Amino acid sequence: MSELSTTPTGSPVCDLGRRSRALDWTLALALGVAYVWVLLSSVKDLGYARDEGFYFQASKSYAQWFQLLFSTPKQAIQPEVVDRFWRANSEHPGFIKSLFALSYTYLFTKWKLFAEEGTAFRFPAMVLSGGALSVVYLWARRILGTDFRGRLCAVAAAVLLGAMPRVFYHSHLDCFDMPVLSMWLVTTYAYWRTTQSERWGAAILTGVLYGLLLNTKHNSWLLPFALAPHLLLLGSLKFWRRPLDGRRGALKAWLCMATIGPALFYATWPWIWRHTADRLQAYAKFHLHHDYYNMEFLGHTYWEPPMPRGYAPVMTLATVPTITLTLFAVGLVVAFRGPLLQGVAWLRRRPTGAWSPHFATFALWACCVLVSYGPWVKSDTPIFGGTKHWIQAYPFIALFAGVGLWVTLERLGKLMETKPLSLRRGLQVATTCAVLAAPVVTTWNSHPWGLSAYVPLVGGAPGAASLGLNRTFWGYATGYAADWLNQEAPPNARVFIHDTAQQSWQMMVKDGRLRKDLRVVWRPSDADIAIYHHEPHMLKVEYQVWVAFNTIQPAWVGTHNGVPVIWIYKRPQ
Amino acid sequence: MSEPPAASSEQPPESVSPLPGAKPAPTRWALVWLAVPLLGVCELGAQLWVSQRAPREAEWSAIATPVRELRKPGDLVVASPEWQGPNARRALGDALMPLADVARADASAYKRAIEISTVGETLPEFRSWPIVERRSQGGFELLVHQNPSPASVKFDFLEELNAKRAEAYTYDPKLGRDQRTLCPYNATSRVSSGGLGGPPTFPSGRFQCPGGEPYFVGVTVIDDSNEYRPKRCIWANPTPTGPIGVTFREVALGERIRGFGELPWVLERGYNGPPIVLTVRVAGQELGRFEHRDGQGWRGFDFPLGAFAGRTEDVEFEVSSSNFRERYFCFQADTR
Repeated sequence: MSELSTTPTGSPVCDLGRRSRALDWTLALALGVAYVWVLLSSVKDLGYARDEGFYFQASKSYAQWFQLLFSTPKQAIQPEVVDRFWRANSEHPGFIKSLFALSYTYLFTKWKLFAEEGTAFRFPAMVLSGGALSVVYLWARRILGTDFRGRLCAVAAAVLLGAMPRVFYHSHLDCFDMPVLSMWLVTTYAYWRTTQSERWGAAILTGVLYGLLLNTKHNSWLLPFALAPHLLLLGSLKFWRRPLDGRRGALKAWLCMATIGPALFYATWPWIWRHTADRLQAYAKFHLHHDYYNMEFLGHTYWEPPMPRGYAPVMTLATVPTITLTLFAVGLVVAFRGPLLQGVAWLRRRPTGAWSPHFATFALWACCVLVSYGPWVKSDTPIFGGTKHWIQAYPFIALFAGVGLWVTLERLGKLMETKPLSLRRGLQVATTCAVLAAPVVTTWNSHPWGLSAYVPLVGGAPGAASLGLNRTFWGYATGYAADWLNQEAPPNARVFIHDTAQQSWQMMVKDGRLRKDLRVVWRPSDADIAIYHHEPHMLKVEYQVWVAFNTIQPAWVGTHNGVPVIWIYKRPQ
Repeated sequence: MSEPPAASSEQPPESVSPLPGAKPAPTRWALVWLAVPLLGVCELGAQLWVSQRAPREAEWSAIATPVRELRKPGDLVVASPEWQGPNARRALGDALMPLADVARADASAYKRAIEISTVGETLPEFRSWPIVERRSQGGFELLVHQNPSPASVKFDFLEELNAKRAEAYTYDPKLGRDQRTLCPYNATSRVSSGGLGGPPTFPSGRFQCPGGEPYFVGVTVIDDSNEYRPKRCIWANPTPTGPIGVTFREVALGERIRGFGELPWVLERGYNGPPIVLTVRVAGQELGRFEHRDGQGWRGFDFPLGAFAGRTEDVEFEVSSSNFRERYFCFQADTR
């Protein structure tokens, strides 16, 4: 739809005609495919994170079970057989690991689409990450309109999600963090669509997606808390009078989520087919009473409660590009200023008119953000995983940022009201490029040091190191050291691999990134080469190396923007 | 502020009115909105600046020569901010940054410190030391600090822990201190590191006492309670038999014996073991006791030598605890 078709006030219109839908789906698909392409083209630089190693192992176990299921289904569903294959990593549900397993089986082993086994394992999470960008676009364009400006802002919202350094890093991984972001987003979008269309088909789809979300990661337990306030806001606040008015679609979705969701969760996680109550209890207990691992924050290592309540907001400010957060703030103000003022007037019994038609949608987005961050208000919630804990909030931050950009373009448009359309669009494109440039450049610069990346607001990686923010965890930076190891390690060298999981190391060997003759040892004193991944509480390992090798001089230092992240000692001859 | 954008729906294209009461913002205010793209451009510029700000490997390699020119024997070389340590150690090596300096107890005995300052930062530890020389070199500033009141160490117990100057022992408290079992010194013991959650490296040169590998007297490096900084110290874990001790022969004494002690912090912070007592004796007489409880971290002790000051005497350090398990005590001491 052209710019001229907007209303005189500049408000957008959403053209849902066939051609318009085709264009939007093409754009959404293009965004997703482009992101997956970028991820695939950059994945070789990224070493395997500690947890990936565990998921490789578990997924291979599940892959064997799937093979058995496809060949001899009766045998595969024998309880003891199920338990044997699904016991691995049973503290996390099975859906995403099943995707990893199927990708490994078909894309690597059978069809040989990938040369590297590790990339085949990682591929499903990449696709889901690309899918998240597509969904952000599709949702944003329904709010921002399908005119030039609306689509531009919707594209920008999707790019702003993909151009968060931590999102980009996690999007590469054979882990559940980006999958849970994507599944949460798509489930919420399906739910929202159900509230709009009130169709049973959409409601059933929402139920199915929620079942898969439940089977993705435990973050899924929080989603109902985000949807409940939205349900209330869909109709009259005096819901006991006319409970169905405005809520029919949402209630259908809730019904399907409450029935299909748990059923599908059960059906797609064979581990809980037996001893269901006990195993679900163990699953919940594992996450509700999770160990406290060490995490550095503002110069102090936290390893037991109380954890700092400022952790989540400060880490968000330090890792999400500032322009993205600024647009998010603008979007929030735009979204809620009017309704808040009207709410105050309503409380004073001086109603000024109807609420914004988007209020409930914006409230849903805001609830998704708030609920995602909610657990970190408590000082006994672990913080060991950094920003990935609340990562499912980020698409909604990006959506609000899209709103913020839309309003910015609308206001700036007033400067050129009398100018030709091409000039006005040029201004819109230039402005959009101006707000996207920093996130894109920052994110590209962050690779392959995703967990070491910080935004300029805190001085980038050097500033964050001076502030005492965590520099790395999970031992993935070994990937960056591979070239040095391959060139400098003596034949058959014994390598202390520190925080890298053995399975992650083995995958690098299988993928041809590391020499096969290198042998893993678990104590610096047994090693010829010792790797050290920096975290303050790990420094004792470096001191072990100093004494064992009788030197304090690293042979190699891997730096991100000059900041040491991983370094290697070589035993003096 | 502008109204929120209008609603979408499954309906055909439609126009939605702005919020009731909303007024179009005056055009002049539109200029304010230029701040948004401007912020984006500023962030881009800032990103390009911060990503190039810290010196790179080649620059670090070039810093060794000027540091070597500035450094006099006994000078301490440090890098600031502290996170530059690995870059500095790679470029300068053990000769300019020996382990004893890097894992020092404190800087009180150094006469001068050469600070390699980067990204405009300096170490708080040396801010009170006057700068007597300053040199700029690429992205670095080399600051030569003069210690206003350096301590004169007469005897550093860490440096003299060897079979020529010292002997280590353990004994059964029921039998008394006279029934000591000497722990033989082996300069080529098997070096042994703990794994990720294990103890520090047990060094090659150590007095090995009976009872197992951790029961020795030797110099190692532990992580301290101040955010896991390195501390080089004398390891002395009480043995299953009883206290563990080390006697230094004919020590030229200063005015006092002072030092520090703790357990490796990442282990100590989670322990809840019985107290550890370090007893210091001079010429067989008890000079003082330092009691350490888990969680207290790296703390100092300072015992005036009184009548022993300036004399040459045997000095004994004895470490005891009611339980020997995981009492990974490590201390540093000198007389000055």
